[in-house]
Amino acid sequence: MSHDYKAVQWTPFKKRFDLWMLAGIILYLIGFIVVGEVTQPPGESIHPVQAVMRATGTLAFLLLTFILCIGPLARMTDRFKPFLYNRRHLGVTTFLIGLIHAALVMMWYHGFSETNPFVSLFISNPRYESLSGFPFEVLGFGALLIMFLMAATSHDFWNANLGPGVWKALHMGVYVAYALLIAHVALGAIQFEKSPAYVGLLVAGATSVFALHVGTGMMTLRGRDRPETDGWLKVANVTDMEDARAKIVRPAKGEAIAIFRDGDKVSAVSNVCRHQGGPLGEGRIVDGCITCPWHGFQYRMEDGQSPPPFTEKIATYATRIIDGVVYVNPEPNVPGTPQTPSQIGATS
Amino acid sequence: MKRAHRKSHLLLWLVLGPVMFATIILAVLNRPAAPVNDALPDALIEEAN
Repeated sequence: MSHDYKAVQWTPFKKRFDLWMLAGIILYLIGFIVVGEVTQPPGESIHPVQAVMRATGTLAFLLLTFILCIGPLARMTDRFKPFLYNRRHLGVTTFLIGLIHAALVMMWYHGFSETNPFVSLFISNPRYESLSGFPFEVLGFGALLIMFLMAATSHDFWNANLGPGVWKALHMGVYVAYALLIAHVALGAIQFEKSPAYVGLLVAGATSVFALHVGTGMMTLRGRDRPETDGWLKVANVTDMEDARAKIVRPAKGEAIAIFRDGDKVSAVSNVCRHQGGPLGEGRIVDGCITCPWHGFQYRMEDGQSPPPFTEKIATYATRIIDGVVYVNPEPNVPGTPQTPSQIGATS
Repeated sequence: MKRAHRKSHLLLWLVLGPVMFATIILAVLNRPAAPVNDALPDALIEEAN
């Protein structure tokens, strides 16, 4: 959290995840190259450098597609939460694989002339008016540049110095990078490759990412709860509230509210984590603290403050239970204000 | 995610999505019948032939 600086924030879980990720990457690269070599028609064999170029290119595309699907999928099912916790490592790894792909392209196609490879990248093919002959490498370069900015600022140091709002806006650039990558593949590989698998992969990737993001975005905007007549919002029946989990309500104005049940106590806090705006209501209570599903930032239920030595604070809300139904007052308290939890079974 | 971010996130996708699909459709429709590498200069191809 905000206490001290660590270059990489390892946990045993993240180490295990990264090892699995590395094993998967190596298996994919070897598999792609071997299968490509075996299925290549006679007389059309490609150089090993080109094979690695294709393997890293397709892998970077697949990984970025998967990374962009993790957020919406984790909101639908808890099975994707482990990927959400490790999305940052996955993102930096994707950038490094893209960098290897780009470095090979630069050396193979632009490294043998007297012109500077970076200059050659922009001037060797000036057919910017053509679709089938478009200098698609420039689009890939743009995507990689955005991913570099994101990888370089992925550490909490930048989040703390830029502020969560600016940081989040900057990192939404990944969507532009993905659109550039789609164009890079469509105007590049799709123009040369005979296999329909490449077109299928491209369409499937773009459709999955687009549908998941727009679908979950629309659901959130439609799901605004209407206030009760006395200004309190109905949350749920006590019996429908799972222990150590939350229900999320969205007032007509202001931020969403996460209402947690911890045993026989019910408390409400802002649904927005102070770290990167993660959805606290999609997290759970760990060691008595509300724990953000994105990066594990924690807050005490009773006052919305992070446990010492951390200093983050979020708004708390008043709750009440009438006839077994939980209600929340949508007026937020000042962040860090103590708020007595409602007691299940007590008379209100 | 803050409410403002959720809205801009959705708006961004509503712009990027159609651009992505239009690019894919145009790229597939304009694909050369016999795949060629346009990046190679014509002179080089003739010489190779």
